[in-house]
Amino acid sequence: MATLGTRERGALTHPDLHRLDDVNRDVLKMLTTPGKGWWILFGIAAAGVGLFFTMWIRQMVLGIGVSGLNAPVGWGVYITTFVFWVGIAHSGTLISAILFLFRAPWRQSIYRAAEAMTVFAVMTAGLFPLIHVGRLWHAYWLIPYPNSRFLWPNFKSPLVWDVFAITTYFTVSATFFYLGTIPDIAAARDRATGLRKKLYQLISLGWQGSDSQWHHFGKAYIFLAALATPLVLSVHSVVSWDFAMSIVPGWHTTIFAPYFVAGAIFSGIAMVITLVVPMRKIFGLEAYLTTKHFDAMAKLMLLTSLIVFYAYLSEFFLAWYSGEEVERTAFWNRLFGTYWWATWTMLVCNGFVPIMLWFKRVRYSIPALFVISIFVNIGMWFERYVIVVTSLHHEYEPFAWGIYRPSVTEMCILLGSFCWFSFWFLLFTRLLPPVAIQELKEVMPPPMRKQAGEAH
Amino acid sequence: MAKDLGERADGIRRRDFLKAVGVSGAGATIAGCSTGEVERLLPYVVAPEEITPGVATWYSTVCGGCASGCGMWVRTREGRAVHVEGNPDHPVSQGGLCSKGHATLQHLYNPDRYHGPMIREGGVMRQGTWDEGERLLAASINGALNPLPDQPARGVLFIGGYMGPTSSALVDEFMLAVGGDRVDFDAVSDAPLKEAARIAYGVNAVPRYDIGAANLLLSFGNDFIETGTSPVAHSKGFASMSAVDEAGGEKGRFVYLGPRLSLTGLNADEWIPIRPGSEAAVALGMASAIAGPDAAGPYANLLQAYNPASAAAAAGVSVEAIEELAGRFALEPSSLAMGPGPGAHHRNATAANLAVMILNHVAGNVGTTVFYEGVSPAATASYSDIESVIDAMASGDIGVVIVHGTNPAYSLPSTSGFVEAFEQVQYKVSFASAMDETSALCDLVLPDSHFFESWGDSTPRAGALAIQQPVMQQVSTFDSRPSGDTMLAVLGHLGSEPEVGTFYEYLRARHETAHDGSSGDFETYWHQTLRVGVGESGATDEGAAQLRAPDTALSFDTPLLDGSDDGLTLLVHPSGRFGGGEFSNSPWMQELPDPVSKITWHSWLEVNPHTAEERGIRNGDIVSVSSPHGSLEVPVWLYPGIREDTVALAMGGGHTGMGRYADGNGVNALGLLPAEAEQPSGALVTLATKVVVEPTGQSRRIATVEGSDDQHDRPIAPAVQLALLGEEEHEVEGEHHEELRELQGVGGFVPVPAEEGAPSAFPLPGAQHGEYADAHDGPRWAMAIDLDKCTGCSACVTACQSENNVPWVGENQVLMGREMSWMRIERYYEHVDATQADDLDVRFLPMLCQHCGNAPCEPVCPVFATYHTPEGVNAQIYNRCVGTRYCANNCPYKVRVFNWYRYTDDVPEPLNWQWNPDVTVRDNGVMEKCSFCMQRIRDAENRAALEGGRDVRDGEIVTACQQSCPAECIVFGNIRDPQSRVSEVVASERTYRVLDELINTQPAVNYLKKVTFHEVSSGEH
Repeated sequence: MATLGTRERGALTHPDLHRLDDVNRDVLKMLTTPGKGWWILFGIAAAGVGLFFTMWIRQMVLGIGVSGLNAPVGWGVYITTFVFWVGIAHSGTLISAILFLFRAPWRQSIYRAAEAMTVFAVMTAGLFPLIHVGRLWHAYWLIPYPNSRFLWPNFKSPLVWDVFAITTYFTVSATFFYLGTIPDIAAARDRATGLRKKLYQLISLGWQGSDSQWHHFGKAYIFLAALATPLVLSVHSVVSWDFAMSIVPGWHTTIFAPYFVAGAIFSGIAMVITLVVPMRKIFGLEAYLTTKHFDAMAKLMLLTSLIVFYAYLSEFFLAWYSGEEVERTAFWNRLFGTYWWATWTMLVCNGFVPIMLWFKRVRYSIPALFVISIFVNIGMWFERYVIVVTSLHHEYEPFAWGIYRPSVTEMCILLGSFCWFSFWFLLFTRLLPPVAIQELKEVMPPPMRKQAGEAH
Repeated sequence: MAKDLGERADGIRRRDFLKAVGVSGAGATIAGCSTGEVERLLPYVVAPEEITPGVATWYSTVCGGCASGCGMWVRTREGRAVHVEGNPDHPVSQGGLCSKGHATLQHLYNPDRYHGPMIREGGVMRQGTWDEGERLLAASINGALNPLPDQPARGVLFIGGYMGPTSSALVDEFMLAVGGDRVDFDAVSDAPLKEAARIAYGVNAVPRYDIGAANLLLSFGNDFIETGTSPVAHSKGFASMSAVDEAGGEKGRFVYLGPRLSLTGLNADEWIPIRPGSEAAVALGMASAIAGPDAAGPYANLLQAYNPASAAAAAGVSVEAIEELAGRFALEPSSLAMGPGPGAHHRNATAANLAVMILNHVAGNVGTTVFYEGVSPAATASYSDIESVIDAMASGDIGVVIVHGTNPAYSLPSTSGFVEAFEQVQYKVSFASAMDETSALCDLVLPDSHFFESWGDSTPRAGALAIQQPVMQQVSTFDSRPSGDTMLAVLGHLGSEPEVGTFYEYLRARHETAHDGSSGDFETYWHQTLRVGVGESGATDEGAAQLRAPDTALSFDTPLLDGSDDGLTLLVHPSGRFGGGEFSNSPWMQELPDPVSKITWHSWLEVNPHTAEERGIRNGDIVSVSSPHGSLEVPVWLYPGIREDTVALAMGGGHTGMGRYADGNGVNALGLLPAEAEQPSGALVTLATKVVVEPTGQSRRIATVEGSDDQHDRPIAPAVQLALLGEEEHEVEGEHHEELRELQGVGGFVPVPAEEGAPSAFPLPGAQHGEYADAHDGPRWAMAIDLDKCTGCSACVTACQSENNVPWVGENQVLMGREMSWMRIERYYEHVDATQADDLDVRFLPMLCQHCGNAPCEPVCPVFATYHTPEGVNAQIYNRCVGTRYCANNCPYKVRVFNWYRYTDDVPEPLNWQWNPDVTVRDNGVMEKCSFCMQRIRDAENRAALEGGRDVRDGEIVTACQQSCPAECIVFGNIRDPQSRVSEVVASERTYRVLDELINTQPAVNYLKKVTFHEVSSGEH
């Protein structure tokens, strides 16, 4: 990339990588050789997508009653999972846009996967509000559109803000993702044959790699990066306001926006690690995704873990400090009530397990990081579960307290959502270069005559 | 305008258009006719005079749900009953109606009613015609009485339940003509009370109580609010007794003496948890303390034998408690004691009732609060009557048995041998309207009509007569016939030509004969009585009753109990929801949370938490309960309101052949009881045995609607001490007030104070949602609920369910927390002590949509499905609702309910006829909640507009819950009108609004704090 500095050039790629050709060869190889492992994973994912839609359609026909939701717990696994996926969606943009603007060189190898993850995670998240509403066929009423009855959505409602936040985020992150892939698609096009070549020709928009094209590309990329950056902060803030704008004890707190953004980045980075580790293994990308990258991601994970854990503690402290009985009961109930196990899962996975990241050895151990990232994924799902469910089940009116038990349908749809996400991600690894070729080349040492001579 | 349209330039005239449409329409009709069978769509060629489509017609009649015979108004729409209300002109019920009264509507449309006469042929029931059925009955009676030469003659037996005087007279006439015997059997009977009145006063009827006139009320296990002679009338009296007089600072006090707190008990100010069966000893001990050593009268000797110490020893409470209570009872100018009712019929129940009568006598209550008038609007048939015929049936001496209005196969202990004996009868006939356990055994069912479809009468009290008139045609699904008509027809077939052809003529003729002409001519009287529902009758008070010497030997001791000594005493009591089991096939009653336990659908065993802990039993554990007479398995519900040595089980569960909603739910508690009659009344003993309770190792989730029984120090159902009323200090200056003032000092956002409910405070500054230019001129609908009057009886809940088409969801959905009721009665324990005589403090709070001025549900709805009307009502637009459920999450009162499924789809024909056409039946996936009976508000507003655009009068709009409330604790109206009743009530110093102080919701529902005699601890607000 033209705008990238050259300070750390070569620092993050494997020393064995000498030729720019190698990059093209290694990355584009991924698009042509579907291994057995890929097909197995894809098969599982496709089956899960089938399950997902079967259960969803069944729910549409019968009613939301097939979930375990009730009064007082009107939101449960669906909203938990919605927030989880929105959170996952965050680190993609963070890595590609914010780290790009901050010139963090370690992002090159992973940003493409992270961006793809973002787009697919938003695609997954966006389904959940639809899954969860009682009358899906009227969900379009949340969109402001001109109509003869002059009925508009209620712009005071955080759910309407959510519609805007999610659609905007999806549009921008998808555009950003697509824009960044154009040069690589062109590279793929040059090697592809047949139908695939036609497809790449179409979507590479006639990229030739000319100076003026690179110039415009750079400008557009910076522009979109700048546009996407505030969205990273705003989208999850808006999602957090779904809760914070209410008067539910445990939801109604001002800390929610930064707390959710930090949590989103935390979970997003963890998900990137979870995805990239097997990808690196399956496609043999060890040369491109080095332990240095993982170290950097682990540090970011550690930082956000600390922020999130601080938010937990401050929530508990403030509940006690408020002196308000309802608030105190709500947080006492989190720790020691019916759903204590969810809260402690959250605390252990998000607060205690990441403590290990203080150790360099752990940060440089890819298996360790993979395991920790799984813990964080679980912990962050439970964080949302704790917020949504434990807050609702013990609210103001003690007589109306209740218990929520997720149903089989909800668990199937939760599982199905991972399959839906994986389905797209797996397709992505086969259709688009999952590692950014052009940016990698930028950080590689420039080809030297001597080296070239040795090679011959 | 029409002309303009008709002669538009395009040339098509209106007439031409209509012609074209007419021709093509006719063509379509002809084509349609040729394709299949023609449906019978009958238009109103001659419209019925009284029916205006869309306008309700009201009829007054008498509730046939139980023997109390409350007055009813039935709302009919397009010729079918859709809702019932209490008749305010009725001398007993005075406008109130209980839950069961509402549920009689579901008996009318009960899908398990017989579709027509059922005839057993080859062991299988088939539907026959009425003529066939009646001839069969006549022939079988003939055959039994005049058998073939080689066969013995057999008797004819009639087993009847409670019925009105004229029906009863016809049965007597019928049996006289046939030459058979009649016995009556009531599952829940006040026979001991009646027998005690006969022994003590020579009056063959239950006494009438004027609870409202008493200042100190003692109930010795009499559950007058939920069961007993007249729950509605007694609730009304109790409410007027116990309601605080704010100006005078007075309030009647209620002491409950019994081993278990029933709903009635939960309303007491004090609870003396006496040992089961010790009522007589306590009453006599108190009476002897009051009468002193020189007691006179026929019972002087008896009183000598008792004293407070013996009473205390028998009851297991302190002597001081008995003495102190006796002292108060004597000093109080107007007091009343009520003897044990059907929930405490032990082996000496008659003696216990007699002892209480003596106590009332020595305290001088006869003639002031207790009246012996000779009229029994109560079921008082005894078990010994039916016991006497069981042997006759078993021996095969009975040729034909006719069962009408009672279900002995269910409501007798299995050890009675009734079913086996009944099966020995050659020909068994039932007049049951709907299927039940007894009619299932019968050879012929001639289904009776519902009381909404037939004539009848009742004597609610001396000097009054109520006519039960049909309010609609027969429900067309069911080919039923009033049993009076059936009997007359059978008499015809038997050759004894009756004077009248129909029961209506019989009833009218009987009243015409009885009519003395003092109140004008009969025709006028008759029509007036039909319209009002109640008329006067000749029978009057029999004069002051005199206590007389007993003619029967009675034991006043604590009765012996069967079973092992280390067992727990079993109390089997009638259910407030099912009675003795007659209401078990009503889904409304099944799903109505029991007012005490808040459990729906299934049975439970009430066990004291300490007892349970000792035995290692937890809430929801399924235990086996065994007595010497039987055993069953039932889940445990831990209840602090029951003595540690006692367990309780309600009647009404465990049906096996009553219909789809009754069968399989719960257990039949009678299976644990001996088939034994109390002496001398002959009532079935319900408190007779000790049981062994053992865990089975299994457990289940309790289908309760209760989350927590503790307020958790929240300002939800606060109370105020009577002594502090009227004093400024009673405003418990809780932490909130202080903190809020501090906040206000620094400009913080604080709730707007309601200024003691002054009308000027509505709407409050925070309450202005929506841009309503005229919002300040229109009404602001508001409600006031007096918690000092509320008994928790839950009649409002069923009334609301009936009025607003609130579906029931079934046990599994309740287990998931999805009950749909728009109203719930929250029940919080503040102080319940089962170990000693002590103050009792239980709070009931009817919770419905609070119609907040600053509603948390409104801003979060993304599509404006919930919004604020200019009249201050928080409206829910069902067809705009998308179903995000955010409003329910954000509702601090949790009064919003969601349609998780299309619940109304499961409602079978013709039960769906009960839907109120004025209210939408909600679809799957939408939120719903209390609308303040918006349809009634609109109805009154429309009526006012039609009547010259006048204003809606105060009191013209009566919500369904308000109408039904026997305690009259709900007031509804325009709070902006300073003269309205709701404004006046809200001006009380007791007014508060739930959680308002905490979250600034500014509700339109105002509660008046409960008033207690004891000090309210500060933590309870």
